[in-house]
Amino acid sequence: MPAPPSAALLVAVVASLAAPLPAVAQVRGVELRTPRAFGYFQGDLVQVQAEIRTDPGFSLQRPSLPKPGPVAYWLDLKEVRAEEGRADDGSTVIRLHLTYQDFYVALDARTLEVPGFPVTVESAGSNGSTTAVAQVPAWKIGVSPLREVQPERRDDPAEYLRPDGRAPRLDPQPALASAGIFLGLAVLALLLLAYDRAWWIFGRRRGRPFALALKALRRARRRSEGEALYRDALLALHRGLDETDGRRVLADDLPDFLARHPVFRPQESGLATFFAASRLAFFGRDTAGASQRLPLPEVEGLLRRLGAVERSA
Amino acid sequence: MNTLRPGDAMLTDWREAAARFEREVGKAVVGQERAIRLLTIAIFARGHVMLEGDVGVGKTTLLRAVARGLGGAYERVEGTVDMMPTDLIYHTYLGEDGRPRVEPGPVLRQAEDLSVFFFNEINRARPQVHALLLRIMAERSVSAFNREYRFPHLQVFADRNRVEREETFELPAAARDRFLMEIGMEAPRDAEVRRTLVFDPRFHDTDRLTEEVASGVLDHDRVGSIASAIQHAIRAEPAIEAYVVGLWEALARPGPAGIRLSGIDMDRLVQGGASPRGVAFLVRAARVRAWLEGRDWLVPEDIRAVFPAVMAHRVFLEPVYEMRRTEIVPELIRAVFETVPAP
Repeated sequence: MPAPPSAALLVAVVASLAAPLPAVAQVRGVELRTPRAFGYFQGDLVQVQAEIRTDPGFSLQRPSLPKPGPVAYWLDLKEVRAEEGRADDGSTVIRLHLTYQDFYVALDARTLEVPGFPVTVESAGSNGSTTAVAQVPAWKIGVSPLREVQPERRDDPAEYLRPDGRAPRLDPQPALASAGIFLGLAVLALLLLAYDRAWWIFGRRRGRPFALALKALRRARRRSEGEALYRDALLALHRGLDETDGRRVLADDLPDFLARHPVFRPQESGLATFFAASRLAFFGRDTAGASQRLPLPEVEGLLRRLGAVERSA
Repeated sequence: MNTLRPGDAMLTDWREAAARFEREVGKAVVGQERAIRLLTIAIFARGHVMLEGDVGVGKTTLLRAVARGLGGAYERVEGTVDMMPTDLIYHTYLGEDGRPRVEPGPVLRQAEDLSVFFFNEINRARPQVHALLLRIMAERSVSAFNREYRFPHLQVFADRNRVEREETFELPAAARDRFLMEIGMEAPRDAEVRRTLVFDPRFHDTDRLTEEVASGVLDHDRVGSIASAIQHAIRAEPAIEAYVVGLWEALARPGPAGIRLSGIDMDRLVQGGASPRGVAFLVRAARVRAWLEGRDWLVPEDIRAVFPAVMAHRVFLEPVYEMRRTEIVPELIRAVFETVPAP
């Protein structure tokens, strides 16, 4: 179990001050902050901070940092992080955050030494660069065994195994409920899409233009009379034909219209008379002649017959 | 259906003459009933005609047959890149005595009797020539030899093929607008007609073929007065007037009219065109069609029959769509007729 570096503080100051050489004085000191010194089990992460103080102008030479990987047969270096800062007196402070992992299978409590390593700092001056080596010292951790060396004797070797941990039983109710809600929404959206695209049952959905035309004629009957009503009736039938065909149907288009909609073929003669009458009424200035040829009740009758064909189709 | 009133016996006679004319032209040009009908309408609407189509579909033969059936003097020129307006008006040469001579050129040679001026491959001529033609077409007159020549009976027929683009000059919009119709000609689709055209030796010699057309079936001097009589005799009801205006509006502004073509921004499709002159031409041609059908009133079918030939070349599209004109404009016209209610 990793402990924060502040939990225990081991200060190891390598007093490089003792060395009188001025070149060594470029590294002012190395300070190692380690968590607790004992109580480590197999697999624990150990986080260590090393703080290196150097003369102003020096900076860390990053390639000189140790590479993450095995350090000893029982110790791995998992991560190395470095940050540089400046202290109040202008000296450079380099902080290394090191994460080790202990793999030592201890049979009794014992102390092991984590090896130190050198770190190079450099200062790029006008006449070339100066390098200095800061030695991070070795330090010790106390590792402990996980279990007793001689466990109580059991008949069944399987009993040496610890029982499996119990996972908490999850409640499936909310998940089921939300799945149901979203399924319902999806079906609803699909239905809306199918309606919009006229898929499936909506594909057969079709307006009934002739039924609407008949309705329009009934409305016109309340509104107008005489020639105007007759023209309205013809117009209603025209709109019904246009709507049925999806385009404007002129008199000359009747054969094509019947070819496209063969169900109306029995009404051919009626439709031909209707077109002739409509031509007369609208373009021949002869509404009276037209209504003689096709009286209003017959227009309505034709509409009704067309509507019946339309329903049965 | 209603027929013409008995008082219009002259119009009835002329209608029979027109039918005979169509039959005669049909002898020389088979499988082009639509083009012949449109040309007949153009003759009686006193409008100039442009024929457009592939090479060898019979444009020239058709126009020669029509010119022969129509009677009157006939001149023909071929458009070339180096042709100048003066080449149409003056004929310059060195006489036998070695002195230069200037005589009337093709346009003036027949003077006022000229009834058909046939301009072959018009898009090969330069814009200067188009400008002269514009005046001849619009005013039926031209200035030369210090006086003005008038051609009261003149009708200009032009053709161009749409295969080549090199060394050709697109007609200016103003000149195209002067043409009553632009008729597209296609080779006949009917297999029987195709076989006849290819294997019957009668169709191989166009000179002999056009000679089979009886000459002067129509009296070209009187076509003008008949044309004006037709325009007065054929009635247009308010319903048809509303229909034409509706079509015009839908063609000029297809977006607001509710027309949608796939892949085209309808609000930016039509740049202009569909001029009042064009719509007036449309009604003029439709009246002639009604007369040919034996009615003295217009019906929407008359408008529809002449609409593509009269209006298609007057619609000017945005440059983005202009390259796809041959597919867009027929689509647009079809959509206009499917959208605008007739009665």
